[in-house]
Amino acid sequence: MLLELQDLVVSYGRIEALHGISLGIEQGEIVALIGANGAGKTTTMRAISGLRAAHRGKIFLEGRDITRMRADRRVVQGISQAPEGRGIFPGMTVMENLDLGCYTRRDAAMIAEDRERVFTLFPRLAERRKQLGGTMSGGEQQMLTIGRALMARPKILLLDEPSMGLAPMLIQQIFAIIKEINGQGTTVLLVEQNAQQALSLAHRAYVLETGSIVRSGTGEELLADPAVQEAYLGVA
Amino acid sequence: MNFEFLFANIGDLTVTGLSQGAIYALIALGYTLVYGLLKLINFAHSEVFMMGTFGALFAWQLVGLHENNPIPSVPMMIVYLLVGLVGAAVWSGVTALAVEFVAYRPLRRRNAPRLVFLITAIGASLAISEAVGIATGRQQFGMPDLFKTTTLVTIGDAHITNLDLGVIVAAIVMMVVLDQFINRTRLGRGIRAVAQDSDTAALMGINKNRVIVLTFVLGGVMAGAAALLYNLKIGVTRADIGFLLGIKAFTAAVLGGIGNLRGALLGGLALGLVENYGSALFGTSWRDVVAFAVLVIILMFRPTGLLGESLGKARA
Repeated sequence: MLLELQDLVVSYGRIEALHGISLGIEQGEIVALIGANGAGKTTTMRAISGLRAAHRGKIFLEGRDITRMRADRRVVQGISQAPEGRGIFPGMTVMENLDLGCYTRRDAAMIAEDRERVFTLFPRLAERRKQLGGTMSGGEQQMLTIGRALMARPKILLLDEPSMGLAPMLIQQIFAIIKEINGQGTTVLLVEQNAQQALSLAHRAYVLETGSIVRSGTGEELLADPAVQEAYLGVA
Repeated sequence: MNFEFLFANIGDLTVTGLSQGAIYALIALGYTLVYGLLKLINFAHSEVFMMGTFGALFAWQLVGLHENNPIPSVPMMIVYLLVGLVGAAVWSGVTALAVEFVAYRPLRRRNAPRLVFLITAIGASLAISEAVGIATGRQQFGMPDLFKTTTLVTIGDAHITNLDLGVIVAAIVMMVVLDQFINRTRLGRGIRAVAQDSDTAALMGINKNRVIVLTFVLGGVMAGAAALLYNLKIGVTRADIGFLLGIKAFTAAVLGGIGNLRGALLGGLALGLVENYGSALFGTSWRDVVAFAVLVIILMFRPTGLLGESLGKARA
Protein backbone atom coordinates (compact mmCIF):
# COMPACT_ATOMS: atom_id res chain seq x y z
CA MET A 1 0.00 0.00 0.00
CA LEU A 2 1.49 3.35 -1.02
CA LEU A 3 -0.89 5.53 0.98
CA GLU A 4 -3.30 4.39 3.64
CA LEU A 5 -5.78 6.20 5.88
CA GLN A 6 -7.00 4.37 8.94
CA ASP A 7 -10.13 5.57 10.74
CA LEU A 8 -9.23 9.21 10.12
CA VAL A 9 -11.16 11.84 12.07
CA VAL A 10 -10.75 15.55 11.32
CA SER A 11 -12.61 18.31 13.14
CA TYR A 12 -13.07 22.02 12.70
CA GLY A 13 -13.49 23.19 16.27
CA ARG A 14 -16.33 21.05 17.62
CA ILE A 15 -17.67 20.11 14.23
CA GLU A 16 -16.41 16.78 12.99
CA ALA A 17 -15.83 16.95 9.24
CA LEU A 18 -14.56 13.39 8.72
CA HIS A 19 -16.03 10.65 10.91
CA GLY A 20 -13.33 8.04 10.71
CA ILE A 21 -12.58 7.24 7.08
CA SER A 22 -10.31 4.46 5.89
CA LEU A 23 -8.96 4.07 2.39
CA GLY A 24 -5.92 2.77 0.59
CA ILE A 25 -4.08 3.52 -2.62
CA GLU A 26 -1.74 1.08 -4.32
CA GLN A 27 1.37 2.06 -6.22
CA GLY A 28 0.50 3.00 -9.82
CA GLU A 29 -3.24 3.45 -9.32
CA ILE A 30 -5.58 6.31 -10.08
CA VAL A 31 -8.03 6.46 -7.20
CA ALA A 32 -10.98 8.86 -7.23
CA LEU A 33 -12.80 10.30 -4.27
CA ILE A 34 -16.21 11.57 -5.32
CA GLY A 35 -18.96 13.27 -3.38
CA ALA A 36 -21.13 16.35 -3.17
CA ASN A 37 -20.12 19.77 -1.95
CA GLY A 38 -19.27 19.69 1.75
CA ALA A 39 -18.88 15.90 1.87
CA GLY A 40 -15.33 16.27 3.17
CA LYS A 41 -13.31 15.69 0.00
CA THR A 42 -11.07 18.72 0.36
CA THR A 43 -10.72 18.10 4.10
CA THR A 44 -9.45 14.60 3.27
CA MET A 45 -6.91 16.07 0.86
CA ARG A 46 -5.73 18.65 3.38
CA ALA A 47 -5.35 15.95 6.02
CA ILE A 48 -3.21 13.86 3.66
CA SER A 49 -0.99 16.77 2.67
CA GLY A 50 -0.75 17.90 6.30
CA LEU A 51 -2.52 21.26 6.14
CA ARG A 52 -5.17 19.89 8.53
CA ALA A 53 -4.24 17.96 11.64
CA ALA A 54 -5.86 14.59 12.19
CA HIS A 55 -7.96 14.46 15.31
CA ARG A 56 -7.81 10.69 15.48
CA GLY A 57 -6.73 7.87 13.24
CA LYS A 58 -3.57 7.37 11.22
CA ILE A 59 -2.02 8.15 7.86
CA PHE A 60 0.66 5.85 6.43
CA LEU A 61 2.93 6.49 3.47
CA GLU A 62 4.68 3.30 2.32
CA GLY A 63 3.87 1.80 5.71
CA ARG A 64 5.43 4.69 7.67
CA ASP A 65 3.23 6.64 10.04
CA ILE A 66 3.17 10.28 8.87
CA THR A 67 0.12 11.39 10.88
CA ARG A 68 2.06 13.97 12.89
CA MET A 69 4.49 15.03 10.17
CA ARG A 70 4.48 18.70 9.10
CA ALA A 71 3.11 19.52 5.66
CA ASP A 72 6.44 20.71 4.25
CA ARG A 73 8.17 17.47 5.35
CA ARG A 74 5.51 15.39 3.62
CA VAL A 75 6.46 17.01 0.32
CA VAL A 76 10.00 15.70 0.74
CA GLN A 77 8.57 12.25 1.53
CA GLY A 78 6.72 12.22 -1.80
CA ILE A 79 3.26 13.71 -1.35
CA SER A 80 2.49 16.59 -3.68
CA GLN A 81 -0.83 18.38 -3.89
CA ALA A 82 -2.38 20.56 -6.56
CA PRO A 83 -4.79 22.39 -4.27
CA GLU A 84 -8.43 23.28 -4.87
CA GLY A 85 -8.83 26.71 -6.43
CA ARG A 86 -5.37 26.08 -7.93
CA GLY A 87 -3.29 28.07 -5.43
CA ILE A 88 -1.15 29.75 -8.05
CA PHE A 89 1.14 32.47 -6.70
CA PRO A 90 -0.41 35.35 -8.64
CA GLY A 91 2.56 37.73 -8.52
CA MET A 92 5.05 35.16 -9.77
CA THR A 93 5.78 34.02 -13.28
CA VAL A 94 5.08 30.54 -14.63
CA MET A 95 8.77 29.71 -14.22
CA GLU A 96 8.86 30.94 -10.63
CA ASN A 97 5.76 28.93 -9.80
CA LEU A 98 7.34 25.82 -11.30
CA ASP A 99 10.60 26.50 -9.45
CA LEU A 100 8.67 26.61 -6.19
CA GLY A 101 7.36 23.16 -7.01
CA CYS A 102 10.91 21.80 -6.67
CA TYR A 103 11.86 24.06 -3.75
CA THR A 104 13.10 21.15 -1.66
CA ARG A 105 15.17 19.53 -4.43
CA ARG A 106 18.81 20.19 -5.28
CA ASP A 107 19.38 17.70 -8.11
CA ALA A 108 19.71 20.26 -10.92
CA ALA A 109 19.96 17.72 -13.74
CA MET A 110 16.82 15.83 -12.69
CA ILE A 111 14.98 19.10 -12.15
CA ALA A 112 15.77 20.18 -15.70
CA GLU A 113 14.49 16.82 -16.91
CA ASP A 114 11.25 17.20 -14.95
CA ARG A 115 10.78 20.71 -16.26
CA GLU A 116 11.07 19.39 -19.81
CA ARG A 117 8.53 16.71 -18.95
CA VAL A 118 6.08 19.33 -17.63
CA PHE A 119 6.58 21.47 -20.73
CA THR A 120 5.93 18.41 -22.92
CA LEU A 121 2.73 17.63 -21.03
CA PHE A 122 1.65 21.28 -21.08
CA PRO A 123 3.16 23.05 -24.11
CA ARG A 124 1.10 26.11 -23.20
CA LEU A 125 3.22 26.59 -20.07
CA ALA A 126 6.39 26.57 -22.14
CA GLU A 127 5.00 29.40 -24.27
CA ARG A 128 4.07 31.42 -21.19
CA ARG A 129 7.19 31.05 -19.05
CA LYS A 130 7.42 34.75 -18.25
CA GLN A 131 3.73 35.42 -17.71
CA LEU A 132 2.45 36.18 -14.21
CA GLY A 133 0.38 33.36 -12.75
CA GLY A 134 -2.43 35.70 -11.74
CA THR A 135 -3.00 36.86 -15.33
CA MET A 136 -3.55 33.41 -16.82
CA SER A 137 -6.89 31.80 -17.71
CA GLY A 138 -8.51 29.20 -15.48
CA GLY A 139 -7.40 26.32 -17.69
CA GLU A 140 -3.82 27.56 -17.84
CA GLN A 141 -3.74 27.98 -14.08
CA GLN A 142 -4.95 24.41 -13.70
CA MET A 143 -2.15 23.22 -15.97
CA LEU A 144 0.32 25.26 -13.95
CA THR A 145 -0.83 23.87 -10.62
CA ILE A 146 -0.57 20.28 -11.88
CA GLY A 147 2.78 20.97 -13.52
CA ARG A 148 4.07 22.61 -10.36
CA ALA A 149 2.97 19.63 -8.25
CA LEU A 150 4.84 17.32 -10.64
CA MET A 151 8.03 19.35 -10.18
CA ALA A 152 8.32 17.82 -6.71
CA ARG A 153 8.65 14.41 -8.45
CA PRO A 154 6.01 12.96 -6.13
CA LYS A 155 5.28 9.34 -5.33
CA ILE A 156 1.65 10.31 -5.10
CA LEU A 157 -0.03 13.27 -6.76
CA LEU A 158 -3.10 14.71 -5.05
CA LEU A 159 -5.44 16.54 -7.42
CA ASP A 160 -8.24 18.53 -5.83
CA GLU A 161 -11.08 19.30 -8.29
CA PRO A 162 -8.98 19.70 -11.44
CA SER A 163 -12.14 20.16 -13.53
CA MET A 164 -13.54 22.98 -11.43
CA GLY A 165 -14.69 25.95 -13.47
CA LEU A 166 -13.32 24.62 -16.77
CA ALA A 167 -15.09 24.26 -20.13
CA PRO A 168 -15.95 20.66 -21.16
CA MET A 169 -13.28 20.59 -23.88
CA LEU A 170 -10.63 21.62 -21.41
CA ILE A 171 -11.83 19.07 -18.86
CA GLN A 172 -11.36 16.31 -21.46
CA GLN A 173 -7.86 17.58 -22.11
CA ILE A 174 -6.90 17.77 -18.43
CA PHE A 175 -8.22 14.27 -17.76
CA ALA A 176 -6.28 12.89 -20.73
CA ILE A 177 -3.14 14.46 -19.28
CA ILE A 178 -3.84 12.97 -15.84
CA LYS A 179 -4.03 9.57 -17.51
CA GLU A 180 -0.72 10.23 -19.24
CA ILE A 181 0.93 11.28 -15.98
CA ASN A 182 -0.29 8.07 -14.36
CA GLY A 183 0.97 6.10 -17.37
CA GLN A 184 4.43 7.53 -16.70
CA GLY A 185 4.32 5.91 -13.26
CA THR A 186 2.90 8.51 -10.87
CA THR A 187 0.16 7.35 -8.50
CA VAL A 188 -2.82 9.71 -8.47
CA LEU A 189 -5.50 10.49 -5.91
CA LEU A 190 -8.22 12.54 -7.55
CA VAL A 191 -10.96 14.42 -5.77
CA GLU A 192 -13.85 15.35 -8.05
CA GLN A 193 -17.42 16.55 -8.16
CA ASN A 194 -17.50 15.57 -11.82
CA ALA A 195 -18.22 11.94 -11.01
CA GLN A 196 -18.75 10.78 -14.60
CA GLN A 197 -15.28 11.85 -15.70
CA ALA A 198 -13.58 10.77 -12.50
CA LEU A 199 -15.09 7.27 -12.46
CA SER A 200 -14.30 6.72 -16.13
CA LEU A 201 -10.67 7.53 -15.50
CA ALA A 202 -10.06 5.93 -12.10
CA HIS A 203 -9.07 2.34 -11.45
CA ARG A 204 -10.89 2.45 -8.14
CA ALA A 205 -13.05 5.00 -6.35
CA TYR A 206 -14.61 5.88 -3.03
CA VAL A 207 -17.87 7.75 -2.47
CA LEU A 208 -17.82 10.24 0.37
CA GLU A 209 -21.07 11.44 1.96
CA THR A 210 -21.12 13.91 4.89
CA GLY A 211 -17.78 12.79 6.22
CA SER A 212 -18.08 9.03 5.78
CA ILE A 213 -17.19 6.64 2.98
CA VAL A 214 -20.43 5.01 1.89
CA ARG A 215 -19.30 3.03 -1.16
CA SER A 216 -16.19 1.85 -2.86
CA GLY A 217 -15.29 -0.24 -5.87
CA THR A 218 -13.70 -0.10 -9.29
CA GLY A 219 -14.61 2.81 -11.52
CA GLU A 220 -16.81 0.60 -13.72
CA GLU A 221 -18.64 -0.92 -10.75
CA LEU A 222 -19.54 2.47 -9.37
CA LEU A 223 -20.54 3.80 -12.79
CA ALA A 224 -22.99 0.88 -13.01
CA ASP A 225 -24.23 1.23 -9.43
CA PRO A 226 -27.85 2.51 -9.46
CA ALA A 227 -27.45 4.47 -6.21
CA VAL A 228 -24.34 6.20 -7.53
CA GLN A 229 -26.03 6.86 -10.86
CA GLU A 230 -28.96 8.50 -9.15
CA ALA A 231 -26.98 10.61 -6.72
CA TYR A 232 -23.95 11.61 -8.79
CA LEU A 233 -24.47 10.87 -12.45
CA GLY A 234 -27.84 12.52 -12.97
CA VAL A 235 -29.46 9.24 -14.13
CA ALA A 236 -33.02 8.91 -12.86
CA MET B 1 6.91 80.69 7.05
CA ASN B 2 10.48 81.26 6.12
CA PHE B 3 10.58 80.61 2.39
CA GLU B 4 13.69 82.68 2.00
CA PHE B 5 15.63 80.38 4.30
CA LEU B 6 14.22 77.28 2.58
CA PHE B 7 15.24 78.42 -0.89
CA ALA B 8 18.58 79.77 0.19
CA ASN B 9 19.50 76.37 1.63
CA ILE B 10 17.51 74.01 -0.55
CA GLY B 11 20.61 72.16 -1.77
CA ASP B 12 22.03 71.42 1.66
CA LEU B 13 18.58 70.57 3.02
CA THR B 14 18.14 68.08 0.20
CA VAL B 15 21.46 66.37 0.89
CA THR B 16 20.80 66.11 4.63
CA GLY B 17 17.24 65.00 4.01
CA LEU B 18 18.34 62.23 1.69
CA SER B 19 20.98 60.90 4.03
CA GLN B 20 18.59 60.96 6.99
CA GLY B 21 15.93 59.39 4.81
CA ALA B 22 18.32 56.64 3.74
CA ILE B 23 18.69 55.60 7.38
CA TYR B 24 14.91 55.66 7.86
CA ALA B 25 14.56 53.54 4.75
CA LEU B 26 16.96 50.85 5.96
CA ILE B 27 15.05 50.54 9.23
CA ALA B 28 11.73 50.67 7.37
CA LEU B 29 12.70 47.51 5.49
CA GLY B 30 12.45 45.52 8.72
CA TYR B 31 8.92 46.72 9.36
CA THR B 32 7.88 46.09 5.81
CA LEU B 33 9.41 42.58 5.53
CA VAL B 34 7.79 41.31 8.71
CA TYR B 35 4.49 42.96 7.86
CA GLY B 36 4.49 41.45 4.38
CA LEU B 37 5.00 38.01 5.85
CA LEU B 38 3.00 38.00 9.08
CA LYS B 39 0.74 41.06 8.77
CA LEU B 40 2.33 42.13 12.04
CA ILE B 41 3.69 45.56 12.92
CA ASN B 42 6.84 44.56 14.78
CA PHE B 43 7.18 47.54 17.09
CA ALA B 44 10.19 45.90 18.72
CA HIS B 45 12.10 46.61 15.51
CA SER B 46 12.98 50.08 16.82
CA GLU B 47 15.01 48.37 19.56
CA VAL B 48 16.59 46.01 17.06
CA PHE B 49 18.02 49.17 15.51
CA MET B 50 19.03 50.65 18.87
CA MET B 51 20.88 47.45 19.80
CA GLY B 52 22.77 47.74 16.54
CA THR B 53 24.20 51.13 17.51
CA PHE B 54 25.59 49.54 20.67
CA GLY B 55 26.74 46.48 18.74
CA ALA B 56 28.97 48.63 16.56
CA LEU B 57 30.27 50.51 19.59
CA PHE B 58 31.15 47.29 21.44
CA ALA B 59 32.83 45.83 18.38
CA TRP B 60 35.00 48.93 18.08
CA GLN B 61 35.89 48.86 21.77
CA LEU B 62 36.77 45.20 21.41
CA VAL B 63 39.38 45.99 18.75
CA GLY B 64 40.67 48.91 20.80
CA LEU B 65 39.01 51.79 19.01
CA HIS B 66 37.72 54.35 21.49
CA GLU B 67 35.91 57.67 21.37
CA ASN B 68 38.97 59.87 21.56
CA ASN B 69 41.33 57.86 19.39
CA PRO B 70 42.93 59.79 16.55
CA ILE B 71 41.45 59.41 13.08
CA PRO B 72 42.81 56.15 11.59
CA SER B 73 44.50 55.69 8.24
CA VAL B 74 42.33 54.84 5.25
CA PRO B 75 42.99 51.06 5.26
CA MET B 76 42.34 50.94 9.01
CA MET B 77 39.20 53.00 8.54
CA ILE B 78 37.85 50.39 6.12
CA VAL B 79 38.69 47.64 8.60
CA TYR B 80 36.92 49.55 11.38
CA LEU B 81 33.88 50.17 9.19
CA LEU B 82 33.62 46.44 8.51
CA VAL B 83 34.14 45.62 12.19
CA GLY B 84 31.38 48.08 13.09
CA LEU B 85 29.06 46.67 10.44
CA VAL B 86 29.58 43.11 11.64
CA GLY B 87 29.08 44.13 15.28
CA ALA B 88 25.91 46.07 14.51
CA ALA B 89 24.45 43.43 12.20
CA VAL B 90 25.13 40.62 14.67
CA TRP B 91 23.62 42.46 17.64
CA SER B 92 20.62 43.60 15.65
CA GLY B 93 20.13 40.18 14.09
CA VAL B 94 20.37 38.42 17.44
CA THR B 95 17.90 40.88 18.97
CA ALA B 96 15.45 40.37 16.12
CA LEU B 97 15.74 36.60 16.51
CA ALA B 98 15.31 36.80 20.27
CA VAL B 99 12.08 38.74 19.81
CA GLU B 100 10.82 36.16 17.30
CA PHE B 101 11.69 33.16 19.47
CA VAL B 102 10.74 34.56 22.86
CA ALA B 103 7.74 36.69 21.98
CA TYR B 104 6.11 35.83 18.66
CA ARG B 105 6.65 32.14 18.03
CA PRO B 106 4.93 30.99 21.25
CA LEU B 107 1.97 33.19 20.31
CA ARG B 108 1.78 31.74 16.80
CA ARG B 109 1.80 28.23 18.24
CA ARG B 110 -1.23 29.18 20.31
CA ASN B 111 -2.97 30.89 17.39
CA ALA B 112 -3.18 34.12 19.34
CA PRO B 113 -5.39 36.91 17.97
CA ARG B 114 -3.66 39.74 16.15
CA LEU B 115 -4.18 42.28 18.92
CA VAL B 116 -2.16 40.11 21.29
CA PHE B 117 0.79 40.21 18.87
CA LEU B 118 0.58 43.98 18.73
CA ILE B 119 0.57 44.37 22.50
CA THR B 120 3.42 41.87 22.77
CA ALA B 121 5.39 43.87 20.20
CA ILE B 122 4.99 47.07 22.20
CA GLY B 123 5.85 45.22 25.39
CA ALA B 124 8.98 43.71 23.88
CA SER B 125 10.04 47.14 22.64
CA LEU B 126 9.67 48.72 26.08
CA ALA B 127 11.34 45.79 27.80
CA ILE B 128 14.43 45.91 25.59
CA SER B 129 14.82 49.66 25.69
CA GLU B 130 14.41 49.77 29.48
CA ALA B 131 16.76 46.84 30.04
CA VAL B 132 19.46 48.54 27.97
CA GLY B 133 18.69 51.80 29.76
CA ILE B 134 19.35 50.22 33.13
CA ALA B 135 22.42 48.34 31.93
CA THR B 136 23.99 51.49 30.48
CA GLY B 137 22.91 53.86 33.26
CA ARG B 138 20.95 55.84 30.63
CA GLN B 139 24.16 57.50 29.58
CA GLN B 140 25.05 58.86 26.22
CA PHE B 141 27.92 57.10 24.46
CA GLY B 142 30.14 58.91 21.97
CA MET B 143 31.45 57.24 18.85
CA PRO B 144 35.06 57.29 17.64
CA ASP B 145 35.77 59.39 14.55
CA LEU B 146 36.63 57.12 11.65
CA PHE B 147 37.23 59.90 9.14
CA LYS B 148 37.15 63.63 8.86
CA THR B 149 33.95 64.94 7.37
CA THR B 150 34.78 67.03 4.33
CA THR B 151 32.85 68.47 1.44
CA LEU B 152 33.49 66.37 -1.64
CA VAL B 153 31.55 68.30 -4.24
CA THR B 154 29.53 71.47 -4.35
CA ILE B 155 26.60 71.51 -6.75
CA GLY B 156 25.03 74.94 -6.80
CA ASP B 157 24.69 75.69 -3.11
CA ALA B 158 24.60 72.03 -2.09
CA HIS B 159 27.65 70.84 -0.19
CA ILE B 160 27.86 67.09 -0.54
CA THR B 161 30.04 65.68 2.22
CA ASN B 162 31.81 62.34 2.14
CA LEU B 163 29.62 61.31 5.10
CA ASP B 164 26.27 62.09 3.49
CA LEU B 165 27.31 60.60 0.19
CA GLY B 166 28.60 57.47 1.92
CA VAL B 167 25.40 57.06 3.91
CA ILE B 168 23.17 57.43 0.86
CA VAL B 169 25.26 55.15 -1.34
CA ALA B 170 25.64 52.49 1.36
CA ALA B 171 21.91 52.46 2.09
CA ILE B 172 21.01 52.17 -1.58
CA VAL B 173 23.54 49.38 -2.14
CA MET B 174 22.15 47.43 0.82
CA MET B 175 18.64 47.81 -0.53
CA VAL B 176 19.53 46.72 -4.04
CA VAL B 177 21.23 43.62 -2.61
CA LEU B 178 18.14 42.84 -0.52
CA ASP B 179 15.80 43.45 -3.44
CA GLN B 180 17.82 41.09 -5.63
CA PHE B 181 17.92 38.50 -2.88
CA ILE B 182 14.14 38.59 -2.48
CA ASN B 183 13.37 38.59 -6.18
CA ARG B 184 16.11 36.43 -7.66
CA THR B 185 17.13 33.71 -5.24
CA ARG B 186 15.49 30.47 -4.15
CA LEU B 187 15.24 31.58 -0.50
CA GLY B 188 13.79 34.92 -1.57
CA ARG B 189 11.23 33.06 -3.64
CA GLY B 190 10.35 31.11 -0.50
CA ILE B 191 9.78 34.34 1.43
CA ARG B 192 7.52 35.69 -1.30
CA ALA B 193 5.61 32.42 -1.48
CA VAL B 194 4.87 32.41 2.26
CA ALA B 195 3.86 36.09 2.06
CA GLN B 196 1.45 35.41 -0.79
CA ASP B 197 -0.14 32.20 0.47
CA SER B 198 1.37 30.35 3.40
CA ASP B 199 -0.74 27.17 3.01
CA THR B 200 0.23 26.70 -0.60
CA ALA B 201 3.82 27.51 0.34
CA ALA B 202 3.74 24.57 2.77
CA LEU B 203 2.56 22.37 -0.12
CA MET B 204 5.74 23.39 -1.94
CA GLY B 205 7.75 21.98 0.96
CA ILE B 206 8.59 25.39 2.38
CA ASN B 207 9.10 25.45 6.15
CA LYS B 208 7.22 28.55 7.25
CA ASN B 209 9.08 28.96 10.52
CA ARG B 210 12.43 28.83 8.77
CA VAL B 211 11.26 31.52 6.34
CA ILE B 212 10.11 33.67 9.26
CA VAL B 213 13.49 33.31 10.97
CA LEU B 214 15.26 34.27 7.75
CA THR B 215 13.03 37.33 7.42
CA PHE B 216 13.74 38.50 10.95
CA VAL B 217 17.46 38.05 10.31
CA LEU B 218 17.28 40.06 7.08
CA GLY B 219 15.36 42.86 8.79
CA GLY B 220 17.86 42.76 11.66
CA VAL B 221 20.89 42.98 9.37
CA MET B 222 19.37 45.95 7.54
CA ALA B 223 18.65 47.66 10.88
CA GLY B 224 22.25 46.90 11.86
CA ALA B 225 23.50 48.64 8.73
CA ALA B 226 21.25 51.58 9.55
CA ALA B 227 22.69 51.62 13.08
CA LEU B 228 26.25 51.83 11.77
CA LEU B 229 25.34 54.71 9.46
CA TYR B 230 23.52 56.43 12.32
CA ASN B 231 26.62 56.12 14.52
CA LEU B 232 28.77 57.70 11.82
CA LYS B 233 26.32 60.49 11.13
CA ILE B 234 25.04 61.35 14.62
CA GLY B 235 28.12 60.32 16.59
CA VAL B 236 26.33 59.34 19.83
CA THR B 237 23.84 56.74 20.99
CA ARG B 238 21.60 56.15 23.99
CA ALA B 239 19.22 53.40 25.10
CA ASP B 240 16.15 55.43 24.16
CA ILE B 241 17.03 56.44 20.60
CA GLY B 242 14.99 53.60 19.15
CA PHE B 243 11.59 55.07 19.85
CA LEU B 244 11.60 58.14 17.62
CA LEU B 245 13.72 56.56 14.87
CA GLY B 246 11.45 53.53 14.93
CA ILE B 247 8.30 55.62 14.62
CA LYS B 248 9.86 57.58 11.77
CA ALA B 249 10.94 54.43 9.96
CA PHE B 250 7.50 52.90 10.46
CA THR B 251 6.03 56.09 9.02
CA ALA B 252 8.38 55.76 6.06
CA ALA B 253 7.23 52.17 5.51
CA VAL B 254 3.57 53.20 5.59
CA LEU B 255 4.25 56.22 3.41
CA GLY B 256 5.85 54.07 0.71
CA GLY B 257 3.29 51.28 1.05
CA ILE B 258 3.87 48.80 3.85
CA GLY B 259 4.88 45.39 2.64
CA ASN B 260 6.62 46.88 -0.38
CA LEU B 261 10.44 46.89 -0.33
CA ARG B 262 10.88 49.64 -2.89
CA GLY B 263 8.17 51.58 -1.10
CA ALA B 264 10.36 51.57 2.01
CA LEU B 265 13.18 53.25 0.08
CA LEU B 266 10.89 55.81 -1.49
CA GLY B 267 9.04 56.44 1.78
CA GLY B 268 12.26 56.86 3.73
CA LEU B 269 13.82 59.32 1.31
CA ALA B 270 10.55 61.26 0.98
CA LEU B 271 10.18 61.49 4.73
CA GLY B 272 13.76 62.69 5.16
CA LEU B 273 13.26 65.43 2.58
CA VAL B 274 9.87 66.55 3.90
CA GLU B 275 11.22 66.76 7.44
CA ASN B 276 14.16 68.91 6.45
CA TYR B 277 12.20 71.20 4.17
CA GLY B 278 9.48 71.45 6.83
CA SER B 279 11.83 72.38 9.62
CA ALA B 280 13.45 75.04 7.42
CA LEU B 281 10.05 76.44 6.60
CA PHE B 282 8.38 76.36 10.02
CA GLY B 283 11.33 76.10 12.43
CA THR B 284 13.10 73.07 13.81
CA SER B 285 10.57 72.41 16.55
CA TRP B 286 7.93 71.77 13.89
CA ARG B 287 9.99 69.07 12.21
CA ASP B 288 8.04 66.03 13.49
CA VAL B 289 4.70 67.78 13.15
CA VAL B 290 5.37 68.39 9.47
CA ALA B 291 6.49 64.80 8.94
CA PHE B 292 3.35 63.28 10.40
CA ALA B 293 1.03 65.85 8.82
CA VAL B 294 2.41 64.86 5.43
CA LEU B 295 1.85 61.21 6.26
CA VAL B 296 -1.80 61.86 7.10
CA ILE B 297 -2.35 63.90 3.94
CA ILE B 298 -0.76 61.30 1.67
CA LEU B 299 -2.69 58.46 3.26
CA MET B 300 -5.92 60.38 2.73
CA PHE B 301 -5.32 60.30 -1.01
CA ARG B 302 -3.40 57.03 -1.26
CA PRO B 303 -4.48 54.84 1.65
CA THR B 304 -2.07 52.05 0.67
CA GLY B 305 0.91 54.40 0.49
CA LEU B 306 2.90 55.74 -2.46
CA LEU B 307 3.64 52.42 -4.15
CA GLY B 308 0.80 50.47 -2.59
CA GLU B 309 1.14 46.79 -3.32
CA SER B 310 2.22 44.30 -0.69
CA LEU B 311 5.36 42.17 -0.59
CA GLY B 312 3.05 39.34 -1.50
CA LYS B 313 2.30 40.77 -4.88
CA ALA B 314 5.41 42.83 -5.51
CA ARG B 315 7.40 41.85 -8.57
CA ALA B 316 10.74 42.83 -9.97
